[in-house]
Amino acid sequence: MSSTETIYLVLFSTGFAVGFGHCIGMCGPIVASLSLSLKGRGVIIPHLLYNTGRITTYGLLGGAMGATGSFTSVTAGIASLQKGVMIFAGILIVLMGLAMAGWIPLGSIFGDYYKPGGLLSRTFGRLSETRSTLTYYPLGMLLGLLPCGPVYTALIAAARAGMEAQSTFKGSLVGVGLMLSFGLGTIPSLLVVAKLANLGWLKRRDTLYKISSLLMIGVGIYFVVKAIRY
Amino acid sequence: MLVKTMLFMAILCIALCPAPSSAGRKPDPVDCDVHSGPCSASFNNIQVTLDIQPKPVKAMTDLTFTAHFAGEKFVAHPYIDLGMPGMNMGRNRVFLKPAGESLYQGRGVIVRCPSGRRTWKATVTVPGVGSVEFVFHVLY
Repeated sequence: MSSTETIYLVLFSTGFAVGFGHCIGMCGPIVASLSLSLKGRGVIIPHLLYNTGRITTYGLLGGAMGATGSFTSVTAGIASLQKGVMIFAGILIVLMGLAMAGWIPLGSIFGDYYKPGGLLSRTFGRLSETRSTLTYYPLGMLLGLLPCGPVYTALIAAARAGMEAQSTFKGSLVGVGLMLSFGLGTIPSLLVVAKLANLGWLKRRDTLYKISSLLMIGVGIYFVVKAIRY
Repeated sequence: MLVKTMLFMAILCIALCPAPSSAGRKPDPVDCDVHSGPCSASFNNIQVTLDIQPKPVKAMTDLTFTAHFAGEKFVAHPYIDLGMPGMNMGRNRVFLKPAGESLYQGRGVIVRCPSGRRTWKATVTVPGVGSVEFVFHVLY
């Protein structure tokens, strides 16, 4: 096995290890909130889309790191954007909490779908459902920008690989590959959180939805405060 | 049903509780004031003096790590692993190159943790000989 293949494996296993050790603590609240907002519906497809969006962003950042060979210049360029994304994530969690409790009508985006009778209405319902599920991909892309220690560490490896590459293009490709390897490694842990936080296996959910909504609102506010202080 | 509900609430609390910030946890013991000058420590009859430039040492900036070794001689090139005490941040290794008599240098970056924790450790390792840790605060 070549040293290049080894570093891909190292980053994949790093992603897997930090996923269960670190990402659950830092990104768990977001993933749990997304699961709860699905109100017991299937979580796998939306969360796979969310994770695909997240690692797409990692790949793009890895490409930029590999092309420039500089971690600090790229991160300095996106620092204010990351702060904005952190605030957005907090507000989003608050909104999902409010929507889940039925206090604001956001159902068409993340909450219940419109499920009327009749063939035409059912078709529109399906389309609405597909559109709603697809929003998890751009959401994942955006939240992939959230500041995160292990992601930064992986990006340093991508920048280093870029410095050692023979050309900007090759450096960029290696950067993308390394960050995709890292991102893929983090998916299992976040899928576990997504599945565990799903309410589908409970019969009486109304009170729990209310409690979960309040918890989500609290977590969202915590995220916003943390973002302002970041 | 009660068991299921309690189990769900436990899962929810774990999933929704963000990682503790610096304000809510016991501070890690710091053994190196890296902002005021180099720090020294020993292992296996080797004394290591570590310096990080520029000062004050800030996260997310390019840093130069200089390690001076005194005592027993060794052949392999040493390296520094940067991490946080008690938290897996992934492998962030600074490879050191010879920069003079018993002197090694390398460039690296200490990343910023959104939890707000500022305590970092630099583990200086000489392959086949041993390693020593320096625990210090960084500025964000």
